[in-house]
Amino acid sequence: MSDRSKLIATGKPFKFDKKYDTEFERLVKRYPSRESMILPALWLVQEQEGWVCEEAIGYVADRIGTFASKVYEVATFYTMMNLHPVGKYHICVCRTLSCWLRGKQEIVNYFRDELNLTPGKTTEDKKFSLEEVECLGHCGSAPVLQINGEFYENMDVDKVKKLLATFK
Amino acid sequence: MTEMIKLFVNGEEVEVESGKNLIDALEKVGIEIPHFCYHPALGADGNCRMCLVGIEEGRPPVVPACKTPAKEGMKVLLDADHIKKIQHDVMELEFINHPTDCPICDQAGECKLQDYYMKYEGTESRMRVPQVKKRKVQDFGGGVIHDQERCVACGRCVRFLRQITKTGELGLVNRGDDCRVEFFPGRPINNRYGLNVVDLCPVGALTSADFRFKQRAWFLKRAESICHGCSKGCNIMVDHNKEKYEDDIIYRIRPRHNEQVNGWFMCDAGRMTYKSENDNRLEECTLAGTVRPLTDILADAQSRIEKASKALFLVSPSASLEQLVAVQALAEKTGAAVSAFSDGYIVKDDGDDFLIKDDKAANRTGVDLLSIAKSRTHFDNMAKEADVFINFDNDLSRSLSEEQIGKLFKDTWVLNAATHPGHLGTAMAGKAGASVALRSWSEYHGVVVNCDGIAQKFVGGVMKNIERPDIVEIAAGLGSPATGAAAAWALVQKKIPALAEFGSFLELPAEGVNLTDNEAGK
Repeated sequence: MSDRSKLIATGKPFKFDKKYDTEFERLVKRYPSRESMILPALWLVQEQEGWVCEEAIGYVADRIGTFASKVYEVATFYTMMNLHPVGKYHICVCRTLSCWLRGKQEIVNYFRDELNLTPGKTTEDKKFSLEEVECLGHCGSAPVLQINGEFYENMDVDKVKKLLATFK
Repeated sequence: MTEMIKLFVNGEEVEVESGKNLIDALEKVGIEIPHFCYHPALGADGNCRMCLVGIEEGRPPVVPACKTPAKEGMKVLLDADHIKKIQHDVMELEFINHPTDCPICDQAGECKLQDYYMKYEGTESRMRVPQVKKRKVQDFGGGVIHDQERCVACGRCVRFLRQITKTGELGLVNRGDDCRVEFFPGRPINNRYGLNVVDLCPVGALTSADFRFKQRAWFLKRAESICHGCSKGCNIMVDHNKEKYEDDIIYRIRPRHNEQVNGWFMCDAGRMTYKSENDNRLEECTLAGTVRPLTDILADAQSRIEKASKALFLVSPSASLEQLVAVQALAEKTGAAVSAFSDGYIVKDDGDDFLIKDDKAANRTGVDLLSIAKSRTHFDNMAKEADVFINFDNDLSRSLSEEQIGKLFKDTWVLNAATHPGHLGTAMAGKAGASVALRSWSEYHGVVVNCDGIAQKFVGGVMKNIERPDIVEIAAGLGSPATGAAAAWALVQKKIPALAEFGSFLELPAEGVNLTDNEAGK
């Protein structure tokens, strides 16, 4: 684990745009208490901006009507909340047992050699960012990549090469 | 009476109150179960695992005592080997990232980690990996300083701010061994009860910026007192110490538990009242501008009262019952008028629904019980009539402007007995015929009645280098029938029959006596 408590402030006020605003209002009706909206609201922030900034946490807290410290707790607890800006394509490589044994390191090495991209970093053109994550739950088709929420199974270096070409 | 139940601790039968969890029930009979996160005011959280106890023939066989109600016939194991191992291992876990900087830590001497280490662990660290580095000396706002590395993540401060003050400034962020207490950037602790987290913190992670590095906990002498900051009468512990060649100084005020008054807490403003007890105190007794012994002043005043056509005594609504009756008895004897006029002690809309009250006087209910007049008109009329005016520590400058005070007592001989300068305004200070420096509430004993009609005793433990008289002594010196504290107490009992059963004020129960209206008589 690492310290995720240092939030990044953009200096600009955060606000849901129209699409996510309606989505928030739709979701909030689902739950008996508004506090249940902390995680879904953080997901909406991440969908809108790609990452969660300090202002967004304050905004979510005020919007839900809960303590900012509570949203802060949740955002720092779950590692899938990106607390720093990520690339246009956020690549998560599974690093847990099955994927590790089936060669996730070769894929990580490929990113390092080809794009000069190491876990936790973003390419200079802000196109790709890489992260090693814990089990994605698709051990049967290891190694697995998750890119912007989409799963790519049974990956190897060749398949990654072809996949990246489609992103360019 | 609460129902009693019998259970077994380490095979020995004990009788405890029912309806409590094991920690509270066994604490009442003197058996300690170690715990960090549990606090009676905040409820059981069950995150620290320090209070795990064994239950013989129970299912599950090991339970957290904070979440387990005491039941009839329960067989609790505290000293079995497997329980000792749990306690040892939990302590070892807490110490993995603890800096163990006790020599420079303010909590040393009253730290649960220290106490439990000596009692339950006592082994050397086995850790050979670097410790997790966290933030030090972090300003949490509200006078609270945080040291993240000392924190055991019990969450008491977090729960206090969410459950009690409902401001929720703090949260436990990150997870695993990086877990730490933080406030959301730009929203630090900002409420009037924030410093309670310092008392709640079982370790040295939260310390008071005001008390830090001032005094070691084991040098402090304790006096069980009542806060005189407002009419709530929170029970407090006055921690003071007299260092060699120095004066006796109060270093901090802490809340003392009293379920029917303040629970476990007190407000930040009340904590800071110790400053005025230490600083800017009147020191000398003067007569016509020159320093004179007290006896001379009292003799002079007594003859003036005798000769006066009308004398007016002004008492403070924060004075103890003993002081009030002493002055009242003096007035009855000499035919003087007594007033407790103190409109300025009431700060409108300052109070809240927790502990802080609008009325900043500690004993206004006592004033009413003794039927001492406190209206403005009564005071004004009497002041116009009187040619001798004696102020017994009423801060009149709170109620009236300097011009008003000057006008009222233009031709009156004034004796100003006060703890602090400025009670009659700065202009009157030079004009006063005599002035006497008084003891303050941390230096005398007495009984005050709070806003809910609860009479509470307090003990003044502070012994200043300069001997100052108490109001009871002054009243006695002026000829009051209450010649001393005991005589004054006897008079109090005569006027408030509900207190008659207590031989001395010290016999009052610790939780106070509830004087309901019909009980108070009169």
